[in-house]
Amino acid sequence: MAANPQTAAERRAPWLLLAPSLITLVLLMILPICIMFVYSFYEFVTAGVEKHVYTTANWREFFSDSYYHMFLWKTARVAAITAILCALLGYPPAYFIAMTQYKHKWLLLLLLIVPFWISFTIRTFSWIHILGEQGVINVLLMKTGLISEPLRLLYTEGAVIMGMIHFLLPYMILNIYVSIEGIDRNLISAARTLGCTAWQAFYEVVLPLSLPGLMAGLLLCFVLAAGSYVTPDILGSTRDSLFGNVIFDTIMGQLNWPMGSALSIVLLVLLGIVAVIYSRFMGLSRVFKGLGA
Amino acid sequence: MNAVAESRGLGWRLVQVFTVLVYVFMFAPIMVVVILSFNDSQFGGFPMTGISFRWYAKLMENDAVLRAFQTSIIVALITAVICSALGVLGALALVRYEFPGKEWINTILIAPALVPETVLGVGLLLLMRWAEQPRTLWLLVLGHIMLALPYVVLVVQARLIGIKRVYEEAALSLGANRIQTFREITLPLLMPAVVASLLLVFTISFDNITASMFWRPSGVETMPTQILSMLKVSISPEINALGTLMIIVTVGLPLIGGGLARYLARSGR
Amino acid sequence: MKMTTTKRLERLTDRYQNGGVSRRSFLGLAAAAAASAGIGLRWAPQALAAVSEVRFDGWGGVVQEAIDKYALQPYTAKTGIKVTQGTFGDESEILTKVKTAAPGEFQVIHSSGVEYYKRYADGGLLTKINEANIPNMANVMPAMIEPFRKIAPDLSCVPYDYGTTGIAYNTKVISEEEAKEKGALLLVDPKYSGKIGGYSDMVTRVWYAALQTGQDPNNVTDIEAVWAKIREQRDIVKKYWSSGAELMDLLAKEEIVVTDAWSGRIAALKQQGAPVGYIDPPKSYAWMEDMLILKGAPMQECEELVNFMLDPATAIAVAEGQNYPPSLDPTKVQLTDKIKALPAFDPTGEMKALTFADPGYWSSNLDAWTKQWDRISKGG
Repeated sequence: MAANPQTAAERRAPWLLLAPSLITLVLLMILPICIMFVYSFYEFVTAGVEKHVYTTANWREFFSDSYYHMFLWKTARVAAITAILCALLGYPPAYFIAMTQYKHKWLLLLLLIVPFWISFTIRTFSWIHILGEQGVINVLLMKTGLISEPLRLLYTEGAVIMGMIHFLLPYMILNIYVSIEGIDRNLISAARTLGCTAWQAFYEVVLPLSLPGLMAGLLLCFVLAAGSYVTPDILGSTRDSLFGNVIFDTIMGQLNWPMGSALSIVLLVLLGIVAVIYSRFMGLSRVFKGLGA
Repeated sequence: MNAVAESRGLGWRLVQVFTVLVYVFMFAPIMVVVILSFNDSQFGGFPMTGISFRWYAKLMENDAVLRAFQTSIIVALITAVICSALGVLGALALVRYEFPGKEWINTILIAPALVPETVLGVGLLLLMRWAEQPRTLWLLVLGHIMLALPYVVLVVQARLIGIKRVYEEAALSLGANRIQTFREITLPLLMPAVVASLLLVFTISFDNITASMFWRPSGVETMPTQILSMLKVSISPEINALGTLMIIVTVGLPLIGGGLARYLARSGR
Repeated sequence: MKMTTTKRLERLTDRYQNGGVSRRSFLGLAAAAAASAGIGLRWAPQALAAVSEVRFDGWGGVVQEAIDKYALQPYTAKTGIKVTQGTFGDESEILTKVKTAAPGEFQVIHSSGVEYYKRYADGGLLTKINEANIPNMANVMPAMIEPFRKIAPDLSCVPYDYGTTGIAYNTKVISEEEAKEKGALLLVDPKYSGKIGGYSDMVTRVWYAALQTGQDPNNVTDIEAVWAKIREQRDIVKKYWSSGAELMDLLAKEEIVVTDAWSGRIAALKQQGAPVGYIDPPKSYAWMEDMLILKGAPMQECEELVNFMLDPATAIAVAEGQNYPPSLDPTKVQLTDKIKALPAFDPTGEMKALTFADPGYWSSNLDAWTKQWDRISKGG
């Protein structure tokens, strides 16, 4: 570095450019997480009041109370189901968009972006009209006489998963699409010339090469699903709450800041571990790419 | 390429049909909201009893909704401007300079997109409590800036990589300083990305609910939180009308913006 | 924004010196005032705004519509002071908001009674109203004022109306005899599994579970039995509703056939022609609601507002609209027949026939029970 002919000003320049962003993130993200950690060792007195003395009571409660473990388990299960279903539903369209020679391919891509512009809240509540007692499915089934009593579809875990898939599917498709698009077409042609069937070419060439995108999509969907609480709030009953709802109610309902902090740390650490394990295999830059897509 | 095209048989057909179904899955529920917003019935579900604009009229008289709309627009506009400015500077540093610790910095800049929003929401709220500051709308602005920053950095970075350095180097060798070069060369070339990120940040801020539920000042509603609280009361057709209006705003804006960016890019050449 | 920033800062400094705001929040507010002046936006907390506005938060739906139509709008017409309105579905929600807000952001609350009044008192959120400014207090039943005065001798509210949380049922499915016979047990009757509703509120749930297990709601001896009962009900409930409007919606659409319910809302449903009956089982949960003025509110304007609301003409019109009897003493003020026919109406003005929640008892159990109910409702 010492041999670098850059002037001092040149060396300072990137830091000056980065300073506003970094200060923002340190103040608004890193410092709060540190405070959160400290708060998780404070003592809860009553709603909205805590004593600034060191106690491990919150953590003991978290580790000993099966109530929280139940929610962790349930959240992991729901997030995993959501991510896997997203992958199953998302792969074929991604493959189609990448491989098609359709003239208006841009339109398909644009339509993939459009959901990002439509309010998440609206996209979520739109499912009430599909699944509700007076929703499309129940009205159609009753009209055709297949059922006489409306089915209970809304305010169930299934509805929550459906809502999350609806919200996450575009992320998944984009991630897979980007990686399929990046595959050298000559490889596929080569495989075909060497006598592979279309299915074999897909299975031997396209699928393995698109795996990074698929995995990035899975991670993204899992993390986003596991952290959500608004979808269960809109489409589920209180019994379909996820870990995020527990955090929200602890903080905003019971005003129990110390316990809420402890639970937030748990969520952060667990999802962080998932991301780290993943990046060991795939490299986190893939995910960044997915976000940018 | 031809080998691929020739072999398209039944499997390909299935993929095609499946793709159409997935698109239907993505858009049908939203279409239902739009259709039901014209429902004359006083309940927000099927069957339709007639076509009417009365829910839109009622919406225009709803003070709470108008207030929430105003709040969201103001927050989103300010967030978009500040966040884009921060992001452009940051991306510039990451693409145009080499410096130690770059990987780390990159990770930090992207982190808000990966840390669960619930955690970010709780964290910032605790910061305010720790500093004994009341929640004001500035908290929403600051929070939204943090949430949207990674996306600006990614979008601008992608564009910057595409702008060849030779232009800037030419300007520099002709005696322009760094700032002049940025103003005269880099910024005009970067304009489409800047417009794109302004729009992106605007929609991220306008649409945010997960973290905003923690940050909004007591008694203040943003558009999404207003919808949520209306949903809690009853599924009235008014919400459908509101949803439809929001779709028009948030989908129309980027489409216009995209067209504008293309126009600017063309005229800039 | 009629005031200049300087004026606003002066006012703020005054309040700071008088101890109305803490130093930290003073600095915060001052910064916010400066900031809002800087970009010319109306962002500063309500406290800074010129008092041409009063904030009122109520229960939404038909109740708030009645209050708005018969009290708030006439008040604005008379005084030129605008009333900004907010709504909430349960009072814990608004209490939480008030606790986390800057003083003065919330001003007048349609609060649901003494046990909640105690919670505001415990949170240090009360103020002192000048009763001399509220001459219409003279018409209010002493029996409704006393419980509030017991909590804090200086009143921060005026009692306004009262009602009960009894049991509403669909008359097409359940007969009056059956409802009367089963009483509180109707809410846990497996016969109506999947068609039962309930208010998602800790006090209501514990109250009714206490009745169902044969205990005194104001002195529960076996709380485990109560939780067991709540769990039992949870498993057969279709939906715990969270606002009066939702309650009416569920009953009107016949998605539920029985639920605990607020007397006034059911009276409103009956008037709309819905097939709904209402009974108060023995020891039904009664409450007296008050118009609560919070610390930091502009006192003069708020006192004027509540005095206006207590004016017999206004109070009677509101009562008929919201279907809750007013706090006016029936022995002093001539009430209408419609009011006399409302559920829970007490012609004696002594409130002896109704069972209210014991504020001390409920607030001492508040944190633990809220947490437990929260858990049970989430399936724990």
